Amino acid sequence: MKLVLTAALLAAALPAAAADLRFAATSDPNTLDPNAGNSAPVFSLLGNVYEGLVRRDREMTIEPALAEAWEPLEDGDGWRFRLRQGVKFHGGQDFTAEDVIFSYERASSEQSDTSSWFAGVTSVEAIDDYTVEIRTEAPNPIFVDGIANWMMMDSGWAAENGAERPNIEQGNFATLNTNGTGPYMVTERQPGLKTVLTAFDGWWGEDRGNVTTATFTPVQNSATAVAALLSGELDLIEPVPVQDAERVDATDGVNVIRGIEARVIMLGFPHDKDTLLTGGENPFKDVRVREAVAHAINVPAILQTVMRGSAEPTGQLVSATTRGYTSGIEQRAYDPDRARELLAEAGYPDGFAFSFKCTNDRYLNDEAVCTAINAMLAQVGLKPAFETVPVANYWPALRADEHDMYLLGWSPGTFDAEHPIRFLVSTPNEEKLLGSWNFGGYSSPRIDQLLPGIQSEIDEEARQIMLDEVANIVADDVAYVPLYIQPLIWGVRDGAEVIQRPDNFLNIRWINLPE
Amino acid sequence: MLAYIIRRVFQSIIVLLAVGLVAFSMFRFVGDPIEQLLGQERTVQDVERLREALGLNDPFPVQYAKFLGRAATGDFGISYRQSRPVAEIIAERAPATLELAFVSGVLALGFGIGLGVFTAIRRDGWAANIIMSASLIGVSLPTFLIGILLIYLFGVQLRWLPTFGRGDVVDLGWWTTGFLTSSGLKSLILPSITLGLFQMTLIMRLVRSEMLEVLRQDYIRFARARGLSAKAVNFRHALKNTMIPVITVTGLQLGAIIAFAIITETVFQWPGVGLLFINAVQFVDIPVMAAYLMLISVMFVMINLLVDILYVWVDPRLRIDGRHS
Repeated sequence: MKLVLTAALLAAALPAAAADLRFAATSDPNTLDPNAGNSAPVFSLLGNVYEGLVRRDREMTIEPALAEAWEPLEDGDGWRFRLRQGVKFHGGQDFTAEDVIFSYERASSEQSDTSSWFAGVTSVEAIDDYTVEIRTEAPNPIFVDGIANWMMMDSGWAAENGAERPNIEQGNFATLNTNGTGPYMVTERQPGLKTVLTAFDGWWGEDRGNVTTATFTPVQNSATAVAALLSGELDLIEPVPVQDAERVDATDGVNVIRGIEARVIMLGFPHDKDTLLTGGENPFKDVRVREAVAHAINVPAILQTVMRGSAEPTGQLVSATTRGYTSGIEQRAYDPDRARELLAEAGYPDGFAFSFKCTNDRYLNDEAVCTAINAMLAQVGLKPAFETVPVANYWPALRADEHDMYLLGWSPGTFDAEHPIRFLVSTPNEEKLLGSWNFGGYSSPRIDQLLPGIQSEIDEEARQIMLDEVANIVADDVAYVPLYIQPLIWGVRDGAEVIQRPDNFLNIRWINLPE
Repeated sequence: MLAYIIRRVFQSIIVLLAVGLVAFSMFRFVGDPIEQLLGQERTVQDVERLREALGLNDPFPVQYAKFLGRAATGDFGISYRQSRPVAEIIAERAPATLELAFVSGVLALGFGIGLGVFTAIRRDGWAANIIMSASLIGVSLPTFLIGILLIYLFGVQLRWLPTFGRGDVVDLGWWTTGFLTSSGLKSLILPSITLGLFQMTLIMRLVRSEMLEVLRQDYIRFARARGLSAKAVNFRHALKNTMIPVITVTGLQLGAIIAFAIITETVFQWPGVGLLFINAVQFVDIPVMAAYLMLISVMFVMINLLVDILYVWVDPRLRIDGRHS
């Protein structure tokens, strides 16, 4: 490992020679249109091609990108952005305020998958060529955090090619072609097979490594990807299967880089149902039963065995790197005796039967984790009817309320603690887009009351007090049982310098490859 | 003969309609494509708009009828995952699968028949015994395991051959071929062995047992007694008479090679239609799944037809019977 570090340092210190990067990931972005797909694979790839007004740095902090500076409007209801001058799109067009207006209209349109980012926005106006004012209904402290993936497109290019609006169902020119301002241009695109990115010489920024061409191949089978890394046909793969990580790391010529994703894996409960799927009344309405479940699960043991020590336990819905994280809330300790006591207190000394649903192709080793949980629940006398489902069937089943206890992973898109409150904890309300992933129907009037304040309080301290209160209510109520934070395990060629961020995006411009 | 073919084509259409019906009634169990198409921050309006646009709100018979209507004109719809016409995607991917299947088929037939004849003639030789034992591997090991083993040995350890993909291909406009570049040819080796191994051992064992059967017949003994050369006896008289069952099995296996290339293509990240199908299943890409299943059934029907015609060509007795009936 030490050798590797030195190699990486050397690579960083020397003027790096141009290098070709060959990398693989499990899934191919289903589109190159930044408004037609709101998913990590899409933004991870497009983040190299398109840019937003703001972007995230190596530590996930928001920093200027196409906007040089921004400030709240005088009345507080919105933000003023000063745009960077002299920025060119790959096609040679100038980037101006007009493009920001166009990109807003496109990204917030009915046909777009990103419209919810702009839910509270009332107007976007160009004051001059390089100043834009975005007005919101109320002050919005995390608006800027929420638009890091809002990518700027050239209005002229879109109009010429008939791609003024995204088209999710039919596709259009922007599905296969790009014209961003970012450090890389897409020079070849074969959906599902191969995507080639080439460095854009006219990029305004400076912070970039030595990769001049990057070839991306989606490889579904992780054993194939590992073999290709070991044989030297690939320079970077993600993910390396948890069970292979040690072996890969021990192999000459390759290295494993580990990190923590922002995704928290948790168990959810049926809060608002009167009867369970297995029949009978719903004991999960009793907080003692939910607490018993939390005490029954030995998370450290699961991480040690199933995850081979590469994940971190958590007691909250967000990881410590997330903005607005509440310190001091720990995971409930593994204590099967306490679990049995609590069950007896709640009136279920002999446990009860319920359905326990899990995915088997969504999260790292999800099926194995759930199998372990299933056994641990049985040890305290509970009788889960355990079932694993492919993710394509999983969400429809949960939405149709065909679940009792279930597994859920959540990565906050805004990297702010408000995100899971809005989606997982708020009382479901379709119109306001609240609680849209709160399948169990958890409801706390106090949290519903606090959320608008959290969404509009500009003062960091006052806002944190509200976030802390919500985090404590969620933990005390055992609304969910947070288990662990999913690890990131990438495999790279020896000497490659790669930055791994908790959003699992691959920023090619930060990569330095050895000769 | 012509009436026979027309009758078979008519039967084929019924088979296709049935396959389409079964496939379509199964798609609802594969999952909801909306979940794959929209991100976690979607709104209820987004979901409704997309359901309507994709026609997912239509009842199942309406969806099926719409699909058939369009498929009849060669339009298989637009892939949910790639937002491109399915026909275009399949046309792009088909050469990879067909070239792989062709090489596998040639390997399976060539080695299968050759080794089959050899092991039948030298029934008790040590070489024949080794081949017979080794063939058990081909019959019993699952494809993905053979693939991984080959990758590990020739790709990772020896580094002779690429571990994945199709290498460089030459675009001929309507066809992309890996036959014309050295990396393309190298890339073909491992996947085609993986894909063809089972078929090869199957054909070999079949040819061997048929040969053993035929070699016991009187006319072979008389042919030998007449002083014909061993080559003429074995290949002109014996081998030709073993061909009927071999053609049947080979025909069906050729279909299987194309249809079940799915696993081999996944292991080797081979950019063919099998890999496309697997991706489509994961993404609930109904138009791609439907088109793929229809194409595969068309192919099986065609192969069966061809096999029937070949029978007549190989076995003169069938020709005479056909004239009488």
